[in-house]
Amino acid sequence: MGNSLMLTDAILAERFRLLRDRSALFWGFCFAPLAGFVLSIGGDLFLRNVIRQPMPGMSVALLDQVIKALADGCSTFSALFLMIGAAAVLAGDYRGETWRLLTPRNTRPNLLLAKLLVVGEAIFWNLLLTAVLSALATIIGSAIGRKALIVTAMDRTVFDAIGVLAITWLEAMTLAALAACVGVLSRSTMGVVIACLGARFVETVLSTSLRLMDQGKVTGKLLAIPVFDADLLRGALLDPAQLGPAASSAGPALAALAAWIVALSAGAVFLFQRQDLTRE
Amino acid sequence: MSIALEADRLTKTYGAVRALDDFSIAIPAGGVFGVLGPNGAGKSTLFRIALGLVRPTSGSARLFGAPPGDISALRKVGAMIETPRYPAYLTARDTLSLLALESGRKGADIDGWLARVGLTEAADRSTAGYSVGMKQRLGLAAAFFTKPELVILDEPTSGMDPAGIQEIRALIVDLAQREGVTVILASHQLDEVRRVCDRVAILSKGKVVAEGGVAELTAGEARLRITAASPIAQVLSVLGDKGKADGADAALADIRRDEAPALIRALVEAGVEITEARWREADLEGVYLKTLDQEAA
Repeated sequence: MGNSLMLTDAILAERFRLLRDRSALFWGFCFAPLAGFVLSIGGDLFLRNVIRQPMPGMSVALLDQVIKALADGCSTFSALFLMIGAAAVLAGDYRGETWRLLTPRNTRPNLLLAKLLVVGEAIFWNLLLTAVLSALATIIGSAIGRKALIVTAMDRTVFDAIGVLAITWLEAMTLAALAACVGVLSRSTMGVVIACLGARFVETVLSTSLRLMDQGKVTGKLLAIPVFDADLLRGALLDPAQLGPAASSAGPALAALAAWIVALSAGAVFLFQRQDLTRE
Repeated sequence: MSIALEADRLTKTYGAVRALDDFSIAIPAGGVFGVLGPNGAGKSTLFRIALGLVRPTSGSARLFGAPPGDISALRKVGAMIETPRYPAYLTARDTLSLLALESGRKGADIDGWLARVGLTEAADRSTAGYSVGMKQRLGLAAAFFTKPELVILDEPTSGMDPAGIQEIRALIVDLAQREGVTVILASHQLDEVRRVCDRVAILSKGKVVAEGGVAELTAGEARLRITAASPIAQVLSVLGDKGKADGADAALADIRRDEAPALIRALVEAGVEITEARWREADLEGVYLKTLDQEAA
């Protein structure tokens, strides 16, 4: 049997399983967009109660709001929930001691890659849900706040939204690949969440500090930080003029994000292939 | 004769603990092979190595001639290792569906197997609420439902009620005899092994200390039980180091069958009043305990 077919089997199995793990599905991949939606509507209702009067000339731009929500799709808040979901998929078999059920039925690289791909798929749906709910919140919010609804105030297109979704997906996938590595090493769902959030925090602090130190220049050190790469790519896509010469580093930034995902995924598979599953 | 599972000088250490120590065995395909041994003898480690769950420290193992972890060999195998565990959010039906997808066997007879292990009514309940016995039944279905050529079962009936134990034993024998599935069965229940297995290996401290057919292992272990009206000490003095007391009025003689006439003559000449002398066949438990005693000594 071809290995690609066996990988398909493993992906189908992992997807089947995630769809039945309602807790991981809700908290990991649905809660953050839903919370954003509820908070946005709540905020609009609050403002309407405080201001009471319609504000003439005020408008909301649908596409701009969607792009902003997508750009924040891997913020620390969103990343926390994404990693809860990723941990359930990637390290759940250690917690439940259920690897022994699965490992005799498919190859170890397939089993782990399938988990990673299913997490990637879930992150994609999470971002799509974020976009849909953000659009819905903008439309409802414009009615609540009696503001004019326009498509865009900054000449954004649907392709910009798709581009930002892809960049945020890549950013989230660096964390998912890290989650796979940490999951194999620590055999712990909690370990995955803590390590990935810690990594996210360190990346943000380092990115900010190095940006200040290097005064806007794009250095190799900065390019090695996924959070910076994703910000740079979003900037290069949406506002290249404001980025200036740094926009030319978009290619290396994209390559750096891809390299992190490939290296961390390969590391996770390498470690998992050599791991004794004495007690999962 | 083809070999289902073979281990050659297999050693596995966990820190200072030697779970398998220069362990060699060749388990033939066909029939039911029993693996006996106390806790820590190395049974589960052997199975985990065979299934590619752990890697040996040294030596080699082969499953249908392929190295451990080889997926083409593993897909001929069904296994239930130690207490089965399942994702708590899955029902029994979901669990088997998941395993069928993972194995690329989408058409597997899930309902048929749930019925065969008596889980039809509980098929759509979460496995988190299952009793140990129900989890064992589901583990057996999971091991068998993809129609494997070899099934490895580690304590398959522990936690089951007596009726369930009988059903499962019958199922194992039926599958081995009618469908030609090779079964490797580790159990602490010697009666179970005696009833179900054709051949047995006894493990102790990571080594095989005895191996053979059940009849073969017990054949040389018969004892002559001598009941006497005379004091038992008088009988024992004649038997010497080949005898031991068996109750207040009897002794067991550890001798060959052809030595019996001479022994009885010697007892009579010593003035012992023999009321009965009969051969008592050894059971597997006796062989098992004796083998482990010898190993410990």
